[in-house]
Amino acid sequence: MKIALVGNPNVGKSTVFNALTGSNQQVGNWAGKTVERKSGIIQRANQTIELIDLPGTYSLTAYSQEEIITREYILRENPDVVMAMIDASNIERNLYLVLQILELAPRVVIGLNMLDLAQSSGITINTAELALALNVPVVEIVAAKGKGIEEFLTQAIRVGTLPQDPLPCKVPYPEELERKVQTMEGLLADNIWATRYPLRWLSLKRLERDPEIGQEWKINVSKPQQSKGKEQCCDLGDGASYELEETTVLPGEDLLQQYEAEGWSKDHFEMAFADAKYQYISHILPKFRTYLNPTKPTWTDSIDAWVLSPIWGYPIMFAILGLVFWGSFVASAPLGGAISQGMAWAAEVIVRVLQWAHAPDFVQSLIRDGIFAGVGAVLAFVPQIAIFFAFFSLMQDSGYLARASFLGDRFMQLMGLHGKSFFSLVSGFGCNVPGIMATRTLEDPKDRLITMLINPLIPCVPRLGVMSAVVAAFFPGSRGTVIMLSLLILSMFLVMVSALFMRRVVRQKERSAFVMELPLYHMPTLRNVLLPTWQKTYSFLKRAWTFILVASIVVWVLSSYPQGVPMKATWAGEMGGWLGFIGEPLGFDWRIMVAIVFGFAAKETTLSTLGILYGVAADASQSIAQAMTGAMTPLNAYTFLVVYMLYIPCLASVITTYKESGSLGWTSFGVAYNLILSFIMGWIVFHGGLALGFH
Amino acid sequence: MSCLLKDIRTGERVCIESIEGGGAIRRRMMDMGIVPGVELEVVRRAPFGGPLQVRLKGYYLAMRLGECAKIVVTGTRQTAIDKIPHLEYPLASR
Repeated sequence: MKIALVGNPNVGKSTVFNALTGSNQQVGNWAGKTVERKSGIIQRANQTIELIDLPGTYSLTAYSQEEIITREYILRENPDVVMAMIDASNIERNLYLVLQILELAPRVVIGLNMLDLAQSSGITINTAELALALNVPVVEIVAAKGKGIEEFLTQAIRVGTLPQDPLPCKVPYPEELERKVQTMEGLLADNIWATRYPLRWLSLKRLERDPEIGQEWKINVSKPQQSKGKEQCCDLGDGASYELEETTVLPGEDLLQQYEAEGWSKDHFEMAFADAKYQYISHILPKFRTYLNPTKPTWTDSIDAWVLSPIWGYPIMFAILGLVFWGSFVASAPLGGAISQGMAWAAEVIVRVLQWAHAPDFVQSLIRDGIFAGVGAVLAFVPQIAIFFAFFSLMQDSGYLARASFLGDRFMQLMGLHGKSFFSLVSGFGCNVPGIMATRTLEDPKDRLITMLINPLIPCVPRLGVMSAVVAAFFPGSRGTVIMLSLLILSMFLVMVSALFMRRVVRQKERSAFVMELPLYHMPTLRNVLLPTWQKTYSFLKRAWTFILVASIVVWVLSSYPQGVPMKATWAGEMGGWLGFIGEPLGFDWRIMVAIVFGFAAKETTLSTLGILYGVAADASQSIAQAMTGAMTPLNAYTFLVVYMLYIPCLASVITTYKESGSLGWTSFGVAYNLILSFIMGWIVFHGGLALGFH
Repeated sequence: MSCLLKDIRTGERVCIESIEGGGAIRRRMMDMGIVPGVELEVVRRAPFGGPLQVRLKGYYLAMRLGECAKIVVTGTRQTAIDKIPHLEYPLASR
């Protein structure tokens, strides 16, 4: 049996889905889209049920990815029953979606969530009357506490196994509109498509000139993988792909043109249908809803009075962001350190075994200095990412993220971006990987792509660490602060300019509309925070580890061969020499070019690479930086910093961009853009500096 | 007396008369419940000319001033939302 879970965003669908499927979830992507697809298998009384968590959506038109996916699933995969979750405090808007679902899929069960929250806003819902008004079973749930969820599923199974389709309520349209609908119904009644879909729905869509109807699709669903051991989650393949087999043009073209001549365009029909639904909802609303203006403000109002106040809002936001950053990137350092040490220890053990087995030297070096060093460096920052994801889930579920977007929108507007990009960009300061992944909250795919592509321009903590060490060595004292600030301002400026440039490249014609819901605050459940954190971290590692392994081996090979020769003659050195022609206009010698190339794999190793190249045997980045003062002028150092800050994100973030955008083309474009931009800026800085008399 | 939503002061309750323009923005507003005939209350404005927060039918929406400039509203009496007797709102002219 197939069951689809549908509802507005923020209504608590994930809570119910997680409660029912536990860790038996499969997370992947919808074919051709960059939206997560979640499905799970449940067993109930000898029935195997496949439950699909469709993305939160406000409507079933065909304009946003979420809407398209929801519609496509219901149309093409024919679930047996739809579980529609609605929010009691928001019931009119939720019912707008439910009415659209009812037109399309007659077997529906409604789950009424957040009754307690509604109560505190002064709203009471009479469940029995609601069920009567819509002729659909309604189950009361308190998803956060797990109440009613099982009953919800039971009702859904019952409706799914009914011998005949129930007859839910029909939205009465105004007379003129109703006549047009019935005329169209008459034309379509004999068509084969009328046997597959409700006739009324078919004619409504035909009047709207919906592109989806009349298309015959074949579904290729990848089988859920049999569990290999305990972890069945996080399969990364595409859940289902669709193939267009044929398209039939439905009758009614003449009628549509006649209507258009009368002034009823497809837009007009769309508006009229939407309007009629809302009217119907306000008509039946008093039957089951009573509303009394509450005497005291709700929790949400009280909290928002601080969080969104013009005076306190921004300081509170900085404090919260500061806490998130501190927790993710500073407090997690011991964990990262422990992993590094663990990796080094494991490497030693293996090397000793190899020695005992008389394995050749180069194998030992490969294992210890190549594989374990490279992979270990990346694994060491997994705790950072995991903790950050946990904070992110916390903020998203609680409702705070929407407030941050509200406050940050003005600045995003300057760059042509959506308020939700704010958090993604700010996260980039900590690490670009979660920053890029945070773009999932953006609904418009073009907004998402632009934000992803400019994210690497924001210097992340590892980069900032290297930069501050170099700055401290070359520009001691307060000059150092000024230099550091100038670098940050430069990167901010380039982010803004790039955002505007990217809009042209991505060809975003309409500025994205900022109409965003500010959900009521609520306490996220532990499961809702930990489960996505685990899933995201696991999926990131799974995709990344092969690339990182290969990159580490390549770096090791390049710097170790040919053996026994001085640094300059190794393949890495040769490469640096060859690339020197690029570095020359910027005053870079071959060593810096080599460090830049290797910095691709992991930023924090840049300094140690430089140390090796300059023949400095020291551990601390400060001492390496000190040693470099003898080999470079301050202007050289500044140029290097500019290029280093911008030139390319680390390998991990390139992989993440590829995974989130789904497009090799755009990922390569982003990488090329960063490279070219950084070298142009470096050139400007170097020659500008010379011209101004610095050295 | 009609004016634009973006000019309404904080704390005022208004009723939507019509929405100008079309396209994706209008559809999005429609999906979110912003249709002619609804009552909403302006809760606050973000500083520096940022978005407006409105309350309608028990939930909150945020919209940029640019979008608010497309919404034509009229003032309304201060009554609790559900106590208005059943009214027929005619289909607003598009």
